[in-house]
Amino acid sequence: MGRITLHGVTKNFGDTEVIRPLDLEIEDGEFVVFVGPSGCGKSTLLRLIAGLEDVTAGRIEIDGVDATGVPPAKRGLAMVFQSYALYPHMSVRKNIAFPMRMAGLDKAEQNRRIESAAAALNLTDYLDRRPGQLSGGQRQRVAIGRAIVREPAAFLFDEPLSNLDAALRVGMRMEISELHTRLKTTMVYVTHDQVEAMTMADKIVVLQHGVIEQVGSPLDLYREPRNLFVAGFIGSPKMNLMTGEEAERRQAATMGIRPEHITASPTEGLWQGTVGVSEHLGSDTFFHVHLDGRADPVTVRAGGEVSLHHGDMIYLTPDESRIHRFDAQGMRLA
Amino acid sequence: MATKASRSAARVMIAPSVLLLLGWMVIPLALTLYFSVLRYNLLMPGANPFIGVENYTYFLTDPAFTDAIINTLLLVGGVLTITVLGGIGLAILLDQPMWGQGIVRILVIAPFFVMPTVSALVWKNMFMNPVNGLFAHLASALGMQPFDFFAIAPLASIIGIVSWQWLPFATLILLTAMQSLDSEQLEAAEMDGAGPLARFRYIMLPHMARAITVVILIQTIFLLSIFAEILVTTNGGPGTASTNLTFLVYAESLLRFDVGTGSAGGVVAIILANIVAIFLMRMIGKNLDT
Repeated sequence: MGRITLHGVTKNFGDTEVIRPLDLEIEDGEFVVFVGPSGCGKSTLLRLIAGLEDVTAGRIEIDGVDATGVPPAKRGLAMVFQSYALYPHMSVRKNIAFPMRMAGLDKAEQNRRIESAAAALNLTDYLDRRPGQLSGGQRQRVAIGRAIVREPAAFLFDEPLSNLDAALRVGMRMEISELHTRLKTTMVYVTHDQVEAMTMADKIVVLQHGVIEQVGSPLDLYREPRNLFVAGFIGSPKMNLMTGEEAERRQAATMGIRPEHITASPTEGLWQGTVGVSEHLGSDTFFHVHLDGRADPVTVRAGGEVSLHHGDMIYLTPDESRIHRFDAQGMRLA
Repeated sequence: MATKASRSAARVMIAPSVLLLLGWMVIPLALTLYFSVLRYNLLMPGANPFIGVENYTYFLTDPAFTDAIINTLLLVGGVLTITVLGGIGLAILLDQPMWGQGIVRILVIAPFFVMPTVSALVWKNMFMNPVNGLFAHLASALGMQPFDFFAIAPLASIIGIVSWQWLPFATLILLTAMQSLDSEQLEAAEMDGAGPLARFRYIMLPHMARAITVVILIQTIFLLSIFAEILVTTNGGPGTASTNLTFLVYAESLLRFDVGTGSAGGVVAIILANIVAIFLMRMIGKNLDT
């Protein structure tokens, strides 16, 4: 079991409010991702759940039991740190065994769990090495192994992939997702990368300045961002946001349209502009189009092998049903 | 230093300093070896005939020699124990966030900058003097008999003074080691269920192992040749109770003016220091690898 409930949780460092009063429900077996720009309080929130920081006010419940004052080790949660935090003087085996040794488990049971975790994580050949002799991805897996053997109620991940290179990151993303499907344990995952959030999460929690901006499934957030911040944060490349005449024509202060919901044509369309930088990814091409009388370029997604060049004339037509409208306060209009 | 030309140029460039250092070391060593096989006493001028190993036999069979060896080892061992244990404790305390951290750290390090003769004098006259010392006043204030440190426990008193001098060094090195410990490791251990003692035993101590090794090696080198503190406080006495090897060599050559025996003692001291060094490297040198 691993149901985590936050009631009015607040955290201040001195006079700075890092987390404003905040309520959140994390269901058993859910993969929840906290996402937001750096300094938004997402790591602090995770550390509050872990018990590494004390809450200033509010209550944290784990499986219905008040855990606010419970020390980290007694909460039944396991954490994977950004720097992996492996113990450099211990072998991989001893690293993985450490939490069980602290819990006083008998040797046979320790070995059984180490073997099964090592097998699951492809670490069997490395058990006698030191962390210093492992690659980044292997260290990451050791850190996960050390968390698994505790059989925790929930896993906490603090930006675990940010020290890996791009290719490895995609691989580890899959492995963690698979791990979650297999173990069916609650996972709370912190990242600043919205791609990780979109690909892994059952539920995304978008944070900014210590406030929850929106909670929902990846597609909910994509389809119906509650406000301008979420609209700009979720989706890659970013949603095009426009103010002024175009927005006013649609009775909104700001309108947003995603690059994939604009049709580009060399001959006719609603908006006229010239092609600026284009990014050819093979599967897709992203054009930055400079519309007449508008400072910021509009990003447009086109098919992979469209040949348009810098300076070419282009016409754009947005899909009217996919336009997001926001009021002057940045909130979504129905 | 990639090309052959730059390598040979580098060799030519460092040659003068290597030669200078070599001369600096080799000439005194050779002279000491030479003097140690002569009958060479300044009180008996005249011929200095070659006498083989007689000086060595005399030095090694002197009952003071055994005392000096034991005292040297006690002095080194005692000071090492106190400074390493105290240094670990102080390093952990000073690593905690607290008000006035900078000033406290400077204060802790201050004793290291006091010259050995000065600190020995201060301890001898201001603290440990059985009539005027602070400890004596404290004892009489409590109605107890003042303790005559240098008469009753001369070696222990010197160990105390030297420890006071070297504790800052150990603290400084161990404190920097503590500060380089990744706080996420401690947090991970905390999450893994390790209490404060287990965190110290399994995370902090292994992390500091290399720094502790450095402290022990460097201090041993200096502690083997402690001299000023003994000269200022007890003059090696009472009897030979606080004479270490360095002081014995001094006594032979400069109090008895026997250059030959003094030199032999110097050579013996070099050999003993190297034996200690080999043992130390065997025991703890592996911490310096990796």
